[in-house]
Amino acid sequence: VTPSEGAGGGTRRELEMESVLALGGLVLLRDSVEWEGRTLLKALIKKSALCGEQVHILGCEVSEDEFREGFDSSINSRLIYHDLFRDPLNWSQTGETLPGGPLGALQAMCRRTHPGPVTIALDSLSWLLLHIPCTSLCQALGALSRQHAHPGGGSPAEPLRVLGLLHEELHGPGPLGALSSLAQTEVTLSGTVGQASAHILSRRPRQRPAHQTQWFSILPDFSLDLQGGPPLESQPHADPHTASVDPTAHVTFNLHLSKKEREAKDSLTLPFQFSSEKQQALLRPGPGQATGRIFYEPDAYDDLDQEDPDDDLDV
Amino acid sequence: MAAVATCGTGAGSTGSIAAAASKNNVTSFQRKGPRASGTDSGCSRLVSIAGTRPSVRNGQLLVSTGLPALDQLLGGGLAVGTVLLIEEDKYNIYSSLVFKYFLAEGIINGHTLLVASVKEDPADILQELPAPLLDDNCKKDFDEDVCNDKTPDSNIKMKIAWRYQLLPKMESGPVSSSRFGHYYDASKRMPQELIEASKWHGFFFPEKLSSTNIESCSLTHGYRKLLQFIQNVIYEEGFDGSSPQKKQKNILRIGIQSLGSPLWGDDICCTENCDNSHSLTKFLYVLRGLLRTSLSACIITMPTHLIQNKAVIARVTNLSDTVVGLESFIGSERETNPLYKDYHGLIHIRQIPRLNNLIYDVSDVKDLAFKLKRKLFTIEYITKLTSYGTQGQKYLLSGHLQRKFAMNKNHCFRRLRTLRKIH
Repeated sequence: VTPSEGAGGGTRRELEMESVLALGGLVLLRDSVEWEGRTLLKALIKKSALCGEQVHILGCEVSEDEFREGFDSSINSRLIYHDLFRDPLNWSQTGETLPGGPLGALQAMCRRTHPGPVTIALDSLSWLLLHIPCTSLCQALGALSRQHAHPGGGSPAEPLRVLGLLHEELHGPGPLGALSSLAQTEVTLSGTVGQASAHILSRRPRQRPAHQTQWFSILPDFSLDLQGGPPLESQPHADPHTASVDPTAHVTFNLHLSKKEREAKDSLTLPFQFSSEKQQALLRPGPGQATGRIFYEPDAYDDLDQEDPDDDLDV
Repeated sequence: MAAVATCGTGAGSTGSIAAAASKNNVTSFQRKGPRASGTDSGCSRLVSIAGTRPSVRNGQLLVSTGLPALDQLLGGGLAVGTVLLIEEDKYNIYSSLVFKYFLAEGIINGHTLLVASVKEDPADILQELPAPLLDDNCKKDFDEDVCNDKTPDSNIKMKIAWRYQLLPKMESGPVSSSRFGHYYDASKRMPQELIEASKWHGFFFPEKLSSTNIESCSLTHGYRKLLQFIQNVIYEEGFDGSSPQKKQKNILRIGIQSLGSPLWGDDICCTENCDNSHSLTKFLYVLRGLLRTSLSACIITMPTHLIQNKAVIARVTNLSDTVVGLESFIGSERETNPLYKDYHGLIHIRQIPRLNNLIYDVSDVKDLAFKLKRKLFTIEYITKLTSYGTQGQKYLLSGHLQRKFAMNKNHCFRRLRTLRKIH
């Protein structure tokens, strides 16, 4: 684990990561096989719990014990765990499972009316996408995000955050695109050797989306350690296309006029320009010009007869 | 049911706006109608409805889309009884702005609005409409804005092509409220009293959802409800002429946001081979039938970048009348391209309808770009001229024909007036 940077830079990066949580709405954590996202999810859950918020977790992929592993008891007491892993289809008929299956569980979360900020963590959205139709999931997520805008009690809007873990490789572009369009913030995990990075795309309403890349690592107690950059500084080479090309160089014609050339150009009278000199020249006949005379030489076939040729016709 | 929200007094104040707007004759020729003594305007064949004008090409009744530049590109405006489909840009910033301009134009002209959406409540959408630019004070600010953008070279009178100076310039300033299209200030909100004076109906789909069980909701459920709602409004308010009434005829402006997104219950954005792939196309077909038989115009925004099946996009394009695609540069590699430096995105006019006509009314230039300056949304032409043998170098031709080209900020091109070859 590499040590973090100095205090000033650290707080700035803290603020960037805070903005992920501050926006509210749906935060989509897209991970892959190489860069798994459950640890980041748990780090964000720990951060919310430490802020005193209520955290509800819908666990589908791992067991409750495995999920709670690594959290200390103070945080564990604040997490409310809804278990869909042990018996999702209610085969054991014990009555402990959540009614309505996965969709019912999700809708039950929509209906809560607890005061105070709430964070809901969905582990994972991929599991939910495989078990309920995509449109129902999108509608439920939409209802969740609307819950925070218009809470039932009429109290002012409390931020309700939904952290959803999504495994990118399991889904085609359709569901990924649909969920991205619903998300307020999208965090895509990637990285270089030994260092994870998060590409954060945040969409504030009615503003341009902002994206930034944040290098981080997660300590064993699930606290977030933000870093400045990758350990091996390998900057990408400047793209030749983005370098500003001066198109006026290496051109086969002259684009720059010298002062004399410019004056000559300006003083040139263009042929179709009806200047006043031309007008005078046309109105007044010149000295060498007599009235127009026509010189004609008849050739052999010309008929100089002045009579009307149509008289010969028998009409 | 609480899902339908209507508000506003409507009749009194819209009448005053309508009276001011009815003096908007395009030509000075007056058609000699039957001048019966003292009858109301409903008898004359040419009814003048507020905020509309006949097209100069084929007499079709047009309404403004809220963006005068877009009106010009569509041949004067949007024809009454047709659908304008806006293909959303990736983050739905500019398409929602165009949607709001359409609704704001309806409020200014006193038209009735019908807003249907899934993500935002229609009342919230109406609160965020842009404010109209009506004062002459604004005209001064606007002229300053335009002058700052012009380079000094463009003020030189043309010596060779001097006849082009006589051409009418493209209308680019704010106009008074009685004219056809209006300009809006995107940074300010529409005054509350104008919104309250207007008549609007809202359809917020999630409110309808909560009353029924989601499991039993078929895919066409949302669309069916919306169509029933629209049909009820058209019938009850008499936009289709079914209930003969003495009061003045009005236009119904319908706005449907994010049609086809999964929040409507339609899964064309989620999978390529979906079960109900025809629900969206059926909806558009029935909607167009409703529009053709009533005095209404509709704007629909659709996230076509999410639709997986390209055949569906082609069918949707054929079933709509006018299709405009917006492509924003945010997040794409074009953002850093110097050619597109001054602009926020491209506009693609994909389809223009042939209504009572044999020919299209399409402009020759296909490269159109838009930008959202601090107050105004402008659309301009971009033209690229690639010369031979220069391997991808691009030039921009400026100011030759009094059209707007993208030339303003790049210093290299300030002196490029004519291309001369020096041997």
